[in-house]
Amino acid sequence: MSILAQCGYGRGEKIEQGLNDGVIHGVIMSPRDERKNRLEQAIHDWGGSHPNALVMFDPQFYAASLNNPRDGHLSEFGYYNNNNGLGRTHFSGTRIQGYVRECLDYQHQTFGSNASYLISPTILFDSFRDSWSQIALNMAVESADYHFSLNSPQPLLISLIISETAFQTMDAVEEFLDALTEIDTQGFYIILRRNSASLQNAMESAPFGRFMYFCHVLTTINEYDVIVGYSDWHSFLLKAAGVTHTATGWYQNLRQFSLARFQPSPGGRRPRKRYSSAPLLSCPLINPELQDIYLANHLALVLSGSNYDAILQNGPTAGEPNWTDEVSCIAHWYSLNALSQRLSALSTQSARIREAERLMQNALTLYAQLGSQNVYFDPTTGPDHIREWQVSLQEFRALAGL
Amino acid sequence: MTIPQLTINQVQTVIPSATDIQEIDRGGQKIVFSGIIDGRKYALKFMAPNPSQVGGQNSEYLDDVTSRAQREVETMQQCSTPHLVNMGPIGLKTTDIADDPIIYFSEEFVEGENLCSSLQSKGVFSVSELVRLAFHMSEAIKAIWQFSKIHRDIKPGNIMRRRDSGDFVLLDMGLVFDLQDESLSVGLVGTPLYFSPEQMDFNNRRTIMNFRSDLFSLGIVMYEMATGKHPFIEGARTTWEVFGNISNATPRSPKKLRPELSEKLSDIIIRLLAKRPALRYRSIELFQRALREVENEGDVQ
Repeated sequence: MSILAQCGYGRGEKIEQGLNDGVIHGVIMSPRDERKNRLEQAIHDWGGSHPNALVMFDPQFYAASLNNPRDGHLSEFGYYNNNNGLGRTHFSGTRIQGYVRECLDYQHQTFGSNASYLISPTILFDSFRDSWSQIALNMAVESADYHFSLNSPQPLLISLIISETAFQTMDAVEEFLDALTEIDTQGFYIILRRNSASLQNAMESAPFGRFMYFCHVLTTINEYDVIVGYSDWHSFLLKAAGVTHTATGWYQNLRQFSLARFQPSPGGRRPRKRYSSAPLLSCPLINPELQDIYLANHLALVLSGSNYDAILQNGPTAGEPNWTDEVSCIAHWYSLNALSQRLSALSTQSARIREAERLMQNALTLYAQLGSQNVYFDPTTGPDHIREWQVSLQEFRALAGL
Repeated sequence: MTIPQLTINQVQTVIPSATDIQEIDRGGQKIVFSGIIDGRKYALKFMAPNPSQVGGQNSEYLDDVTSRAQREVETMQQCSTPHLVNMGPIGLKTTDIADDPIIYFSEEFVEGENLCSSLQSKGVFSVSELVRLAFHMSEAIKAIWQFSKIHRDIKPGNIMRRRDSGDFVLLDMGLVFDLQDESLSVGLVGTPLYFSPEQMDFNNRRTIMNFRSDLFSLGIVMYEMATGKHPFIEGARTTWEVFGNISNATPRSPKKLRPELSEKLSDIIIRLLAKRPALRYRSIELFQRALREVENEGDVQ
């Protein structure tokens, strides 16, 4: 598994740098956040300059069924602009055919071989029992059928955007999987919509465990490619479940998906700078958390090992001005990629699960060790999220019989 | 529905070109004879249309027995694989015998032994025989599924091993379920001991049944041929209790019952028996790839 860049506003040179450094393996473009001609040019350019990178275009069609979404540049794209403002009654078989055709035709005709996959349009659903989930399934089946008729050399990923609430119970999850695994496609691009816009690392433990199981059935059992977008530190757990790639971006709202991304922004100050620590499985604040760790002479224990660590070696506070957004982003990709590679090196799923358990246990031990040295962490840093993940992993193991 | 009462002489009258006619089987809705036509031996199947549903000669509606026979013949004509029984020279025909309407057709006569008899006379299969059985049956399931159909009655009694080549052949497509056509059944059909969990979910089966249901039944057959035991009979005293086990019980690993089986082959059989279709194999190709891995392990002697 490797890490992909989840693009949003303010791409800058990060992608180029991340690809050149080998800390990301590809990119998922966001039409909401980029002018159409600029996005098309970027995909064209990467196709030439990074032929081995995975280049994907998330059509974000789901925004068409949201109430007055803040959809940015999406309105420049015909497949979206011709069809937005969709209610439940706008998804008859014929209409779904139309949405699918417009969306896949656009990708097929515009990106050609520069995109690694075509990605199907979808809509958001909150429950595996509601009519929206059936619409999402119909769109998936229609997309697979239309992709087959296109004869495109680019394989198809069926996209799904599912609320975390849908995993509150296993109710109907299995039936949905039965239907999904009937589809002949290369794989799935899945977004888990978080309930809260607070964007904490902590996930509701049992639903996340069930989401891991959902991914496991698609990847390990049914051998589809599964790319999970808007992922963050929990990427290593998804890897343990068998996920092929995860994608993460530079802003917090590109690391965990909530509908706040499509709602008017309340504004606010710039977030405080953080450091991505693989050993802690979290991003401590550079000031004061990382500085306190430094003062306790334990900085080496929490560093992830990228070249950018040198900026902070002589005191995180002193290095903070040079810890730019771009550096922070690439260092984050580096940390996630390092974890991912560690799990990928293991040949069996059992070994990967054991390694994930070990990483969490080590992180908890490290938090405890630092706590004993009077280093205090903001609750948004940790370590409660790790305890939640431990429960998620147990839930997953029980469901998967592993 | 009744089995037509026919004598060899009556069959001879209906099919004068046939010689050496012998009754070989009767059961369900049909009586089966063997006979030589143009120097080759064929099975000659006779059924009586369902009298309660026959609407007269001008009726556009067919009774269920005739419809099923039609589907059986159509499936044999559509599918081309050596692992499904072939059509014989006589297509589906109707006639009257002693004033009773009769439908009949011919199919290839497979010389050999079915798996029921084989298990009784020779015991469980070797690993190589199991893998071969799985490959051949997967080809048969694939051939039927190409036409969005499911066999629905895969069981040891419906699988023959050809005497000459040792190849396995799936017989009796009388219960084939066509997802793209109207249902011919108003209840549970097939052999309950070999039902998949979704086959028992009568209300939902059209939406959830596909070839993976046949894979489940094949899993039961493979389990039996590997261990000599049915995976879901233990502890059950009635058919309903077997249904309960099929839906809820996890069978013991075949390897536990027969340690010389490879872990991989044992896992494949257990995976075929998964309760949810999503946990079996999503394509025949993936199933066959798993079987090839068993072959490549060197387990197959």
